[in-house]
Amino acid sequence: MANSREHEAWLQELEAASRVKQRTFMDGIAGKLKRPRVTEAPAHPYRGAPDFWREMEWDEEERVQRFTDNFKSVGGHVVRLAGMEEASRFIADKAQEMSAHYILRQQESELDALGLEAALPEAQVSVWNSDPDTDWKARAAEADFGVVLADYAVAYTGSITVLSAAGKGRTVSLLPTVLMAIIPVERLRTRLGEVLTGFDQAEREQLPAGIHFISGPSRSADIENDLTIGVHGPGIVYAILVG
Amino acid sequence: MSHASTATKPKTVKARADLALNDEFLRKAVKFTTERLRLGKKNASEEHGNWDDWRERGRQIRLHTIAHLDYYLNLFVDNARANGVHVHFADTADEAVKLSLAIAERKAAKSVVKSKSMVTEELHLNHALEGIGVEAVETDLGEYIIQLAGETPSHIIIPAIHKNRYQIAELLSKEAGETLEPDTQVLAGFVRKKLREKFLEADIGMTGCNFAIAETGSMVLFENEGNGRMVSTVPKTQITLMGMERIIPSFEDLEVMATLLPRSATGQKLTVYMSGITGPRREVDGDGPEEMHIIIVDNGRSLQLGDPEFQELLNCIRCGACLNACPVYRHIGGHAYGGTYSGPIGAVLTPALNKNVGEWDDIANASSLCGACYEACPVKIPLHDMLVYLRRRKVERGHGNRAEGMGMKGFAAVAGNSGRMARALKLGKLGQKLVARDGGIRLKIGPLKGWNSYRVTPELPKQSFRDTWKTLEGELRGGLQEMDEATRDRMARIVQERGQGGKGGGHHG
Repeated sequence: MANSREHEAWLQELEAASRVKQRTFMDGIAGKLKRPRVTEAPAHPYRGAPDFWREMEWDEEERVQRFTDNFKSVGGHVVRLAGMEEASRFIADKAQEMSAHYILRQQESELDALGLEAALPEAQVSVWNSDPDTDWKARAAEADFGVVLADYAVAYTGSITVLSAAGKGRTVSLLPTVLMAIIPVERLRTRLGEVLTGFDQAEREQLPAGIHFISGPSRSADIENDLTIGVHGPGIVYAILVG
Repeated sequence: MSHASTATKPKTVKARADLALNDEFLRKAVKFTTERLRLGKKNASEEHGNWDDWRERGRQIRLHTIAHLDYYLNLFVDNARANGVHVHFADTADEAVKLSLAIAERKAAKSVVKSKSMVTEELHLNHALEGIGVEAVETDLGEYIIQLAGETPSHIIIPAIHKNRYQIAELLSKEAGETLEPDTQVLAGFVRKKLREKFLEADIGMTGCNFAIAETGSMVLFENEGNGRMVSTVPKTQITLMGMERIIPSFEDLEVMATLLPRSATGQKLTVYMSGITGPRREVDGDGPEEMHIIIVDNGRSLQLGDPEFQELLNCIRCGACLNACPVYRHIGGHAYGGTYSGPIGAVLTPALNKNVGEWDDIANASSLCGACYEACPVKIPLHDMLVYLRRRKVERGHGNRAEGMGMKGFAAVAGNSGRMARALKLGKLGQKLVARDGGIRLKIGPLKGWNSYRVTPELPKQSFRDTWKTLEGELRGGLQEMDEATRDRMARIVQERGQGGKGGGHHG
């Protein structure tokens, strides 16, 4: 306890020094730009994408088609299913097919409803952050499957967006060998900007610590330009479009 | 290890380039990789369409942010602090290293896992960490390979471009304590397993920063492997080093950068991972760092502010497209440039950050001034103009080639006066009779030595353009009054068609 108090004091000392330095740093910038400090928000006439781009919007069928094409072109898998029941069956079948023993899923009511625990009696299905005494990072590291519910998806870039929260771990979409991402079709947007502008509109305090766009399996071409899949993140990624 | 290799590096770009040109594999690998990336960029930008409109938008956003950098950087700092981040400032590389080491010591860290960061390369931070007994592990596959080899990156996007799979297998086998097949899957599989352990046991995760969002205090990382996410999620403490110019105003502006950066770097529509990190883990979160530091680094960047010739350097988004487009880089590779940054951007940035044009005087000459770098740049930085400014500054400060300078002055004196020019040419025509054979001069002495080592200087013509000017002028004046009837009709028809709107207007893909 004394140790952490000492650490807090040290951090406060650093912060005091940093605040003094902040002023000289900013004054230095203004001085080099040969004008007084700018303290009011300047007009920014070129904010965001060009106007013609903002008008582009695809209908649902085209969004699904483009997302599917883009996600597959980088080595991801895409299936479209009618409902959550079918999604549950799909994940259970894949788990049996690949002999997955450890399955970790986010703590969300939609995923509770999948009933994976009942569908896979032989596997160990755990629920993120459901018990304070468990080392959840270790659970994620050993998991064969990570099952998440996407917050958004983007057709133009073929991306899945996941946001962190108490029941939604960042490691669940990162450490397991296989990532299963369920995307309710109504969450699929056309452009990246549609999702990004939402973060500007939310209050800063409302933003999650981690916002992650995932566009396919982890990859590298660092050895002789030879494409390698699954370097650090999941090497197998399923996008399960539902609805 | 890395220091030993730096110490034995040849002093000039030319000597380092000679080394690179001797290495057949390196030359082929650089050519192959840059060609692949360049083609990827070309296809991706064409498929996306209206590329020049997007470039212009990217340029405007960067120009606007840098012109108001004090406002946006200050806003970012205030918001990041409100998110619970400990923000620090470093004027110099030394200060940034001291701050990083102080945090590592305070945390009693045994190991640091790092994702790719060009800023930490500027600081030689790995060496400093090892100096206080902290293991620093690069986790980007390419960076890990060159760290094992004790080398520095040779390409900003593909750092181990100069190593073949046999060399890589040898390096990794030593690390594994067993012989690994020179097979990409086997080698990458070993690295995945090895670095998994490192991620899970490390005390500190260290990242760079592609963009920092002023209005929310978030930092943004683009990457393909997932190591950036690992180092910013798994260890208890995160340290991010960012150049002071990485700022953009909003997430909305990020869409433009996310459109330009991956397409320009590798031809991807988006990197596999794009992460926006806003502060340390929330109290209720089950993972993410408990403590987060951001160190804002100047290290020569602010010297470009207010300098009309070089301020736009700060617009750079570090995509590497100028390297892939540069005919010189494609021949000599990255190590020949001798600094942290290579290619056209490195040729300008290295002397600009160091403000010592003299010491780096030959780096600005490692360019043919063809302008391919400007054409490739997603934020339209006029790199070829900057290379000329650098050469001029170098000459102004007395680092030029004296014989060349005298020759240029002499040429100006002669060519500036038509009478002198005529007399000099007459003298040349007489003089060359002694040395010209078969219409060419092959003599390799005096001022002709360098040129004639590889080529033949053509002899001065018996009748020059200047000699015939009087006749030509007369012909032009008389001849232009009468136009051939068929020509006139054709031109009239073209003008008429153009008036009707016709086809072939500006086409956008």
